[in-house]
Amino acid sequence: MRLLPFEYAVRNLGRSTLRLVLSVLGSFLVVMLVIAAVAFVRGMEKSLIGSGSPDNVILLGAGSAESVERSELSPSVAGLVSASVPGIKTKLGLHYVSPEVHMSLVISARAGEDSTSSAVIRGVTPTAYLVHKQLRIVQGRAPLRGHDEVMVGQLAATRIGWQPEALEVGKTLWFDNRPWTIVGAFAASGTVMDAEIWCPLTDLQIAAKRDSLSCVILTLDGADFSDVDIFASTRLDLEIIAIREDQYYRQLVSFYRPIRLMVWVTASLIAMGGLFGGLNTLYAAFAARFREMGMLQSLGYSRAAVALSLMQESVLISLTGALLASAVALILLEGVAVKISMGAFGLVLDAPTLAIGLAAGLILGVVGAIPPTLNCLRQPIAEALKSA
Amino acid sequence: MIQCEKVTKEYHKGDNVIRPLDGLDLEIPSGHFLALMGPSGSGKTTLLNLIAGIDSPSSGTLRVDGLDLSGLSRGKLAAWRSQTIGYIFQLYNLVPVLTAYENVELPLLLHSMSRKERHRRVAGALDLVDLADRHSHYPRQLSGGQEQRVAIARAIVADPKVVVADEPTGDLDRDSASAIMALLQQLNRVLKKTLIMVTHDPKTADYADQTLHLDKGKLMDGRAASSGSALDDEVTP
Repeated sequence: MRLLPFEYAVRNLGRSTLRLVLSVLGSFLVVMLVIAAVAFVRGMEKSLIGSGSPDNVILLGAGSAESVERSELSPSVAGLVSASVPGIKTKLGLHYVSPEVHMSLVISARAGEDSTSSAVIRGVTPTAYLVHKQLRIVQGRAPLRGHDEVMVGQLAATRIGWQPEALEVGKTLWFDNRPWTIVGAFAASGTVMDAEIWCPLTDLQIAAKRDSLSCVILTLDGADFSDVDIFASTRLDLEIIAIREDQYYRQLVSFYRPIRLMVWVTASLIAMGGLFGGLNTLYAAFAARFREMGMLQSLGYSRAAVALSLMQESVLISLTGALLASAVALILLEGVAVKISMGAFGLVLDAPTLAIGLAAGLILGVVGAIPPTLNCLRQPIAEALKSA
Repeated sequence: MIQCEKVTKEYHKGDNVIRPLDGLDLEIPSGHFLALMGPSGSGKTTLLNLIAGIDSPSSGTLRVDGLDLSGLSRGKLAAWRSQTIGYIFQLYNLVPVLTAYENVELPLLLHSMSRKERHRRVAGALDLVDLADRHSHYPRQLSGGQEQRVAIARAIVADPKVVVADEPTGDLDRDSASAIMALLQQLNRVLKKTLIMVTHDPKTADYADQTLHLDKGKLMDGRAASSGSALDDEVTP
């Protein structure tokens, strides 16, 4: 099959500048939306899945498997599990066992301020830095026990809804009616910890007036999960359950499935709107060229060749919009953090996200061109030549 | 040689049958210049389209150089058109986004041909229609007469045996029309192209070797134009 020159398709784009601009803009908006939706969903999944390590096991209060914040267990669990389960990772005689309290507390920037900002605060001991390998302190130092000190994750401000300057090292924040000095900042990219505020375990227990723990997280070495699971199920007095850390966060992913579904449905509906808008534009554009299509066929170009040329035009428009959308998304969305109930996460604008955006642009171009092309070519040549 | 045997073309519109051509018999010798005249709806353009292979008869046989067109698939018919037919339209039908050169080159892209050979043929065709100096002009930069000359160059550039023209001067002023007709006559006489032209204008028809009148899908009469037509003097063979 002999094809029409590609340049013919390219030059046809310039027939109507306004139509070209509107069509590219339509594709741009649809692809931008798809990229944003994909970046959101991938960011959320990455954050949750990245939070769990396959070597870590979480001990939670029985009946609290779906939420560590609602869990309560005895402070003795950390010591008991260290002593009872051989094969827990150790370093210089220190067991990788991290007793933790996870709480959502209302915080404020100033004393007496009527604040509605809540933050996820995690009370930890130094072993937390052994267990949570993703975390690194990027500024300042870890908070010391008994000094009312905290350190903040790099997305904590987004999670709370504050300006990042409010949580700079050296600033003070208030909870439990007393000031807490920010002495450090940490990063735990791609995990839920990134949006948290950490303080010493005992300081938080005093502030929250609780002596129970939320969980104990431990890292396995020679032992495997079943050893911890047997410990949890045989120590009925402790009323605890064991769950792999990565499995815990995978469960959270499924908990957020309705949000993902809503994002996809919204993106799909708007994309369909864009598709129908594009269809309408192409119908008008191609219908104005019935006679030209007839002429090309009268010269000997096959219907397929003419259809392919029209398809090229449509794909060129949609891919131009898609490339623009990718570039703008990289500029505007890269590094943007999104707040959800369990914390905050960064939009993921990696190669797969952009590839999905470009694929959406390509599909938009191809699918959007099929009905107008068929409409254009279903006419017999003789009829097309008589068109206005 | 173009042979039409009992060629009928029917369209169905609801319960009505419209028959633009009704059992037409016609033979057009190779190298002939035939004008088709008749009132609107008489079947002139339908016959032209059948001969050009862009439409198919409902019944009857249409042969061009012995080839029965009704036996060809859509794809083969398209390939046959690209090799055999040059089509000249009343409204030129040039592609507005292509230059005169590129418009003329379009039919050659359907043939296996080097770029150099294409260039030689396009330049030759534009030279023949006296538009060599307008090769880089877009249709909007040309007059109606010039556009039609580009269309003629496009119709002959692939060296087809048959050139069909549907009201080639219908959208032109008298002077431009005369120039176009002189050019078509030259194509017929010098390049020996079989030329079939639909026209409403008897003066335009006078350039042809023969004029046939169609009415209600049937040939009414035939008139062989004298080889010494009054307009012949305007042509330089």
